[in-house]
Amino acid sequence: MARIGVDVGGTNTDLVLESPAGIFYHKVPTTLKNQSIGVVDGVLAICARAGLNPTEVETIVHGTTTATNITIEHNGSDCGMLTTEGFRDILHIGRHKRPTNFSLHFDVPWQSQPLVKRRNRIAIRERIAAPSGEVAVALDEAAVRAACALFRKRGIKSIVIGFMFSFLNEAHEQRAKEIVLEEIPDAYITLSSEVAKVIREYERFSTAAMNSYVGPKTAFYLRDLEARLQGAGIHSKLRIMQSNGGVSTVDACARRPIHILMSGPAGGVIGGASEGSMAGTPNLITVDIGGTSADISTIPGGAVKVMNPRDTFVSGHPVLAPMIDMVTIGAGGGSVAFIDEAGGFQVGPRSAGSEPGPACYGRGGTEPTVTDAQIVLGRLDPDMALGGDLRLDAELSRRAVEEKIAKPLGLTVTKAALGIIRIINNNMALAIRSNSVARGIDPRDFSIMPFGGAGPLHGVALAEAVNARDVIVPVAPGITAAVGLLKSDLRYEHTDAVILELTGADQAAIERINAIAAHLRERVRDELNADGIERARQKIELVAECRYAGQGFELRAEMPDTLTLQNKAGVVQSFHDRHHLDYGYSYPQAEVELITLRAIGSAAVRRMEVPKIAATDGSSPDRALLFVRKTTFDDGRTLETPRYDRTKLFAGDKVQGPAILVQHDSTTLVPPGYVAEVLDYGNTRIRALGA
Amino acid sequence: MNQMTKSAVDVDPITLQVIRGAFETIAEEMGHVLYRMSFSSIIRESQDLGAGLFDLNFNTLCESESTPMHIGSIPAYLRGIGETLEDGTWHEGDVVVHNHPYYGSSHTPDLAVVVPVFLDGRLIGFAGNTAHHVDIGAATPGLIIDVPDVFAEGMLFAGTKLYRKGEPNTAIWNYIRRNSRAAQQLVADIEAQVASARLGARRFVELIGKYGEETVFAAANQLMDYAERMMRQKIAAIPDGEYSAEGWLDDDGRNRDRRLKVKVTVRVAGDGLEVDLTGSADQTPTAYNVPFEGSTKVAAYAAFRKILLDTATSESRVPSNEGSFRPITVTAPLGSIYNPRFPASAEARFTQCNRMIDLIIRALAPVLPETIIAGSSASISFAAYSGVRPSGDYWVFLEVNEGAYGGRPRSDGPDSIDNLMANTRNNPLEDLAMHIPMICERYELRDDMPPGAGEFRGGIGVVKAQRMLAPGFITHESERHTDAPWGIFGGTEGAVGRCTIHNGDGAARDMPSKFSGLAVAADDVMTYYSPNGGGYGDPLKRPPRKVLDDVLDGFCSVDRAREVYGVIVDPEAETVDMAATEAARKALAPH
Repeated sequence: MARIGVDVGGTNTDLVLESPAGIFYHKVPTTLKNQSIGVVDGVLAICARAGLNPTEVETIVHGTTTATNITIEHNGSDCGMLTTEGFRDILHIGRHKRPTNFSLHFDVPWQSQPLVKRRNRIAIRERIAAPSGEVAVALDEAAVRAACALFRKRGIKSIVIGFMFSFLNEAHEQRAKEIVLEEIPDAYITLSSEVAKVIREYERFSTAAMNSYVGPKTAFYLRDLEARLQGAGIHSKLRIMQSNGGVSTVDACARRPIHILMSGPAGGVIGGASEGSMAGTPNLITVDIGGTSADISTIPGGAVKVMNPRDTFVSGHPVLAPMIDMVTIGAGGGSVAFIDEAGGFQVGPRSAGSEPGPACYGRGGTEPTVTDAQIVLGRLDPDMALGGDLRLDAELSRRAVEEKIAKPLGLTVTKAALGIIRIINNNMALAIRSNSVARGIDPRDFSIMPFGGAGPLHGVALAEAVNARDVIVPVAPGITAAVGLLKSDLRYEHTDAVILELTGADQAAIERINAIAAHLRERVRDELNADGIERARQKIELVAECRYAGQGFELRAEMPDTLTLQNKAGVVQSFHDRHHLDYGYSYPQAEVELITLRAIGSAAVRRMEVPKIAATDGSSPDRALLFVRKTTFDDGRTLETPRYDRTKLFAGDKVQGPAILVQHDSTTLVPPGYVAEVLDYGNTRIRALGA
Repeated sequence: MNQMTKSAVDVDPITLQVIRGAFETIAEEMGHVLYRMSFSSIIRESQDLGAGLFDLNFNTLCESESTPMHIGSIPAYLRGIGETLEDGTWHEGDVVVHNHPYYGSSHTPDLAVVVPVFLDGRLIGFAGNTAHHVDIGAATPGLIIDVPDVFAEGMLFAGTKLYRKGEPNTAIWNYIRRNSRAAQQLVADIEAQVASARLGARRFVELIGKYGEETVFAAANQLMDYAERMMRQKIAAIPDGEYSAEGWLDDDGRNRDRRLKVKVTVRVAGDGLEVDLTGSADQTPTAYNVPFEGSTKVAAYAAFRKILLDTATSESRVPSNEGSFRPITVTAPLGSIYNPRFPASAEARFTQCNRMIDLIIRALAPVLPETIIAGSSASISFAAYSGVRPSGDYWVFLEVNEGAYGGRPRSDGPDSIDNLMANTRNNPLEDLAMHIPMICERYELRDDMPPGAGEFRGGIGVVKAQRMLAPGFITHESERHTDAPWGIFGGTEGAVGRCTIHNGDGAARDMPSKFSGLAVAADDVMTYYSPNGGGYGDPLKRPPRKVLDDVLDGFCSVDRAREVYGVIVDPEAETVDMAATEAARKALAPH
């Protein structure tokens, strides 16, 4: 029985195959028009490589950027929307805040790239009363049918239904859906009360609209991929990575593609988390460095965190879907260094991308990038990139750094290159801080885990900048996200709005909470059952999203299986504690209000097992020595620095810096004063000497 | 040694960027904690706040990117605190609250909370923030307009210590609790401000611990020089000269028949400039005046950051500090609406600030045609709804309504969005209905009047109708009922704003743009229409496809498409008749 993880990136589709015969890695070029072509090619190729008949593949887990790309390229479905009379333009107005303070020429993404054009937003007479949830004005069913006639005329089949106060009572949204299905039987319909049954109309409507916008295309992609795999004789189960780090089925993702908008980076975080447990290090800060951006996530105690739903945006639109808590910044190997008009030294966020790419690619790029700086400093060997598959021109790098940075600033080329690295590292360090220190997490108890091919070049510098404990380099840094796909659990979430005072809740209120909790649990259980997960393996967690009465932002409190008058105080206390941890202050006297109940169901699936490598026989690590070259380190010293083939090191080997560890698609920098210790799986811990 | 001594240390460009990033992170973190913790919707939803770090000379070292009216306002507060500080001196553990408009505040509801930063027992700077509070016990709930003087604005704090050497000053806390209609929110939100300021002070000390005092302050100075250099370069590119524009404000909120003139003159000389407001109206007898230090100057600085250092068109961002203000001087005669004399009230000051910025943009149109934009709504709608609950407790809700931008040289003016100096978030209507006896009836784009036509049309304002479910009070501070946003380079003017009140099926009565403490009945509905922006460029140059889009989206009628744009639309087929359009445009073009 074999399993395959397939992670589709902007340039490469990475694959990992786990079978009784061992673990295999493979890369194929991403097919941008339709990712499924590359996925199928890659699956067949890696099977061939492993000597495996494709019919023997049991499960394929897939990380995809298909849904995300639709939002970036603005080529989703033409959608129609039914909404409450008087509120036709909620999606156009948004929260009426400009994306930027000091600008006259700013873009407003929700107006310039609307998810639903105004002409297709049809206002319907209906009204749900607040706070009771009673029907105040009945649904105008004839108006719904008339809107459907217009949609038919315009060829619109993707429909959003978002009514005011549907978080209190979804009856009108449900009834409108029945009518739409009568009028347009093959419509793709999203109800706001189904995707995000929570208070705040703009965010809820935007979530529903995003679902219908990316829905039909994403559903087509997923089903097409399934068919192509079948056609190629691969009858395995296909699972999709969701933004929350859990995997789900093709059916569920086709209905709720808003849950896979961050499918790609989620695999990296999960991969990083599992590498942490392999290294016996639960407190991690993962830094996934790509060509144009870096994704940073803090994982305390091995538990991947999920973002506050108030903070989840995709391409400028709020989307209330659980997403792994990470920050993405414009810092990567392709980030361009430049001197601005007032003489400021800047690196990124603009990237040279892969065309023209860094100057060293020799594709016409003349601006220095972070990669060029690494080459100038001798940290990347131009003849060793991708195991020598990619030829780089060091002279072009040097010239770019000299012309654009060193000369204008009156610095040596080396100093200028060091400056580029220091500024980009600082940008990443600040993002790490915002995702850790700013939230009450002390980085001194955490290890930096850098990955992406270039990640381990930055690991030690980042650890120093944020005072992290040490650095853990994964086994295969260039393919960590694909590996992560084979290490994630099934995961489903459902929410319901339950707005009531928790501190003063009486027996009736508690019974109401318990009834809603039971219903949520049931919905989650149904999904796990549908996946064929036996009851004993199902894990269901309940979370109370609370705030002080009158506040605007919820934080998560722990929730017992059954709430009682007695254990209620524990929920309240856990909210006070959370508030104090996040903001450094709490209001112990204030009323705590419950806003949303959330049930999270998961089921552990078999994790991919990475084999241990041979333990050292006590011989010198020099067996792995490739050659020695000059390399410049952050303290400005240029030292003769040995390169070691990382694949020839044994567990327990210790390599003292200055040193560079090389493998096919990744390079690890071990500065002087540091030692790299090879761990059981070929992963590596780097720490300061004497630490 | 004084940290302001220039070039004590020359910080290398790399360390400079590192410290800049650290400063910005601290300011953002301070702002984040404040709005996430706070209770009143004006702070937590609208984010009407600012936060930052300051040196002993009250220079801003960094400031959060929250609401522009707050950005750059805190130094004037610090100068005012310097003059009025309780005990005459700072102690470690002190926390000060301050809002006196004649001692530097932006206006009284914006309370500043300031914490001194000590290093080894020595004062080295300040961490502080400002936030708009729902009610500080003024003459009318929430907002005021028609009042006699500054003493009607509510509690005035000047250098008042909330904590002395770390110990709470319980008398002042009790006083605050007894003097607000929304005391619970006010006190909890001040506590949030204290938490934010203390956090900033802690981070400031950590930063100095890492890089050293000399380096940090030297870097701060260099960052100010850098911002100054950026601004001067841009000013130098404007031809020297004097550029003026004028406009009219509706009234002062009491004397309905008297319009108030705003005159702006921009004098550019080399790499510096002056904004001169001479010729603008005299100060008013109501609250409709602008505190000079805390608001007039701040708005003028912000105008040039928007015009000359536009983040959307610049590759690098200017750091948020004093540097970019240095090349700009602001003049307003004492006793005028932009520089009132004590004890005039000066609480309702926002629309005048926005109008000044709009007129600076207009004044510069002849020399910066590719940079400026057509007339924006340049007003604000600031409404205070209030009432007394059956329990006897007051409820007060502040609402900021948005406007629309003028057409731009390369794109249409954005619709339904906070304008110029304002940048708040609206309050979710569902959240409102769950908590206060008010229900929103309508919140949509305006369709009673079109925006200014142009190659790039003006933005479209909103219409918002709020129904009171129980008797209460409304105070509304708005503008632009008489003087429509201007079009430019062939673009036509936008539409004026409007405000009505009606009950049930009764007729709507037109309201003036400003009114105070109006008693309203259950089921009274106030409807506000914000002005539409002016157009930029010749409407006949607008691509027919875009005119069709506007027709289909309901932004432009078929008739208007034909008459103003010369575009012949078939609304049934949803197409443009290109031949007929060509002919219509020929006929409309001037010969």
